[in-house]
Amino acid sequence: MSDIRLDQLTHSYGETRAVDNVSLSIAEGEFYSLLGPSGCGKSTTLRMIAGFVTPTSGRILIGGGDVTRLPPERRDIGIVFQNYAIFPHMSVAENIAFGLRLRKVPRAEIDTAVEGALAQVGLSGFGDRYQRNLSGGQQQRVALARVLVTKPRILLLDEPLSALDKALREEMKFWIKDLQQTLGITTIYVTHDQDEALTMSDRIGVMRAGRIEQSGTPREIYEEPASLFVTTFIGQSNVLDATYAGAEGPRAAAMVEGRALSAELSHALPRGSAAKLVIRPENVLMGPEAADRNLTQLPATVIGESYQGAMVRYRLRLGSQELVAERQNQAHLARWRPGETVTVGWDPGRARLLPAD
Amino acid sequence: MGDTSPIPLTFRLVSGVALVILLTPVLIVVLSGLNSGEYLTFPPQGLSLKWVAGFFTSPIFLPAFLFSFGLATVTTIISTILGTMAAIFLTRSRSRAREVLRGLFILPVVLPGVVLGLALYVFFAWTKLGLAGSFPGLLIGHVLVTMPFVIATVTASLVDFDLSVEDAARSLGATPLQAFTKVTLPIIQPGISAGTIFAFIVSFGQFELTLFLATPDMQPLPIAMYTSLRYAFEPTAAAAGIFAICLVTISTLVTSRLVNLKKLLRRR
Repeated sequence: MSDIRLDQLTHSYGETRAVDNVSLSIAEGEFYSLLGPSGCGKSTTLRMIAGFVTPTSGRILIGGGDVTRLPPERRDIGIVFQNYAIFPHMSVAENIAFGLRLRKVPRAEIDTAVEGALAQVGLSGFGDRYQRNLSGGQQQRVALARVLVTKPRILLLDEPLSALDKALREEMKFWIKDLQQTLGITTIYVTHDQDEALTMSDRIGVMRAGRIEQSGTPREIYEEPASLFVTTFIGQSNVLDATYAGAEGPRAAAMVEGRALSAELSHALPRGSAAKLVIRPENVLMGPEAADRNLTQLPATVIGESYQGAMVRYRLRLGSQELVAERQNQAHLARWRPGETVTVGWDPGRARLLPAD
Repeated sequence: MGDTSPIPLTFRLVSGVALVILLTPVLIVVLSGLNSGEYLTFPPQGLSLKWVAGFFTSPIFLPAFLFSFGLATVTTIISTILGTMAAIFLTRSRSRAREVLRGLFILPVVLPGVVLGLALYVFFAWTKLGLAGSFPGLLIGHVLVTMPFVIATVTASLVDFDLSVEDAARSLGATPLQAFTKVTLPIIQPGISAGTIFAFIVSFGQFELTLFLATPDMQPLPIAMYTSLRYAFEPTAAAAGIFAICLVTISTLVTSRLVNLKKLLRRR
């Protein structure tokens, strides 16, 4: 068990920088997710930590020791791949024993450890099976058992759930998180799925074009996005064209459709510069809910309504721009039809002004 | 519903005819070798094992058979090792030389054997390394024409090989060599076995190339049979043919059995 530190880690393929100057500290026992679209460099970062890709520059430290130049077999890292990479010519027990055999552990000890590992992942009695007789979820568990039995210092998970069907994915999400917490093992989890990252992680690093755009707790990432990319990649956001009009107490004043609105500001902006006002659909209130004087209030026209079961989703026209509101579908809440005018509003603390991309 | 086979009747008829055309010569050779007459004739004048027995006492055929067997064995070992290495390079290298090399490796089977044989003979004579008319020279020729078969079969098994399996092994503590021998090799073994049997059969029956590279005191079976048939039309050659057919059939059966078992174990 150890902490991980990435120090100005860079990897270039020819001209393109797949990973560009990434620095990161992950505490011992932490569950850290690298989240981003495909090609953002998250897998390359993981492969550099595992030792399969040599960094062009920068350093990787595990437990304080520099492992940048160590081959994978000497890093003492457990990695689980997207396709599980179970050895097809070995039984489940042989798969799990593989790492211990290489370490020349005595036979009797291996047998005990394999039994223990199988029990830990809930696959007791599966030792004699082969990969072809295992479901995706079972292969996933074998891959984890195979890695954990060697007691690695850190655990790397490369999109481990993406090959599973939705129901199993939900189940495995919590199972993996529980296992990680029980073991207290430092874990890096690579995913393009925001739900996985939000529910499982202690902290998330959102990656884009080889850089970490924002690193923070799931709440910070979702509620205090540092950039337009983060706010649109994670969940949904209304992005309104705005102009920064200067400070207004602790907040910023932004001109949107000729009105001065206040919003949270996380980046210094030059006065008068074009910016984006960002507000999540669930934070857009309508009608009586928006009546509070402390809220930002705007007149809008309903242009579309879609029923989603637990939610009703409204498309609203706000001057020349469009806005989406998501309201809970509950009996005491009013409903609007397309064509009706309605006052919309939001807590200014929920709106953020971000630099235009 | 008399016909439940998923293969159309026409296809089955065509393959039946093809099979007959392919197998008839084999049958003729076998029957000729069992001839009780003095000459190589068909249909045989009667059945007897005297030419088969003659094969064992023949000063030409038995040594030629054993020489061919030895040559094919050594060729197969070298071809399998080099061909497997080449296939790994061809499937994994990102080098631009890859396509050129792939073409060069396949060239020996595309070129007519006569052309290749002549080219090698001239080359060996020109280099003055004593390769012309020597066993190493003959061996080099055989490796050249058999290696493409190993490359083809091993490449086929490497194409759907999942590299993360090797990465997993490395991360679990295996050195590159251990990862290769404990994980990669067992997984691609069916392809290697198939290549081995091809290499053996091709080397054992190789004629044109051998014609240029063999010497009178170093005669593989195909050359011995050809020479003997040119001067004496005796059925010992056909009897030798029986042994060659048996050897090839048995080795094919044994290998395909091994390969299929492995395939079955691998697939669900």
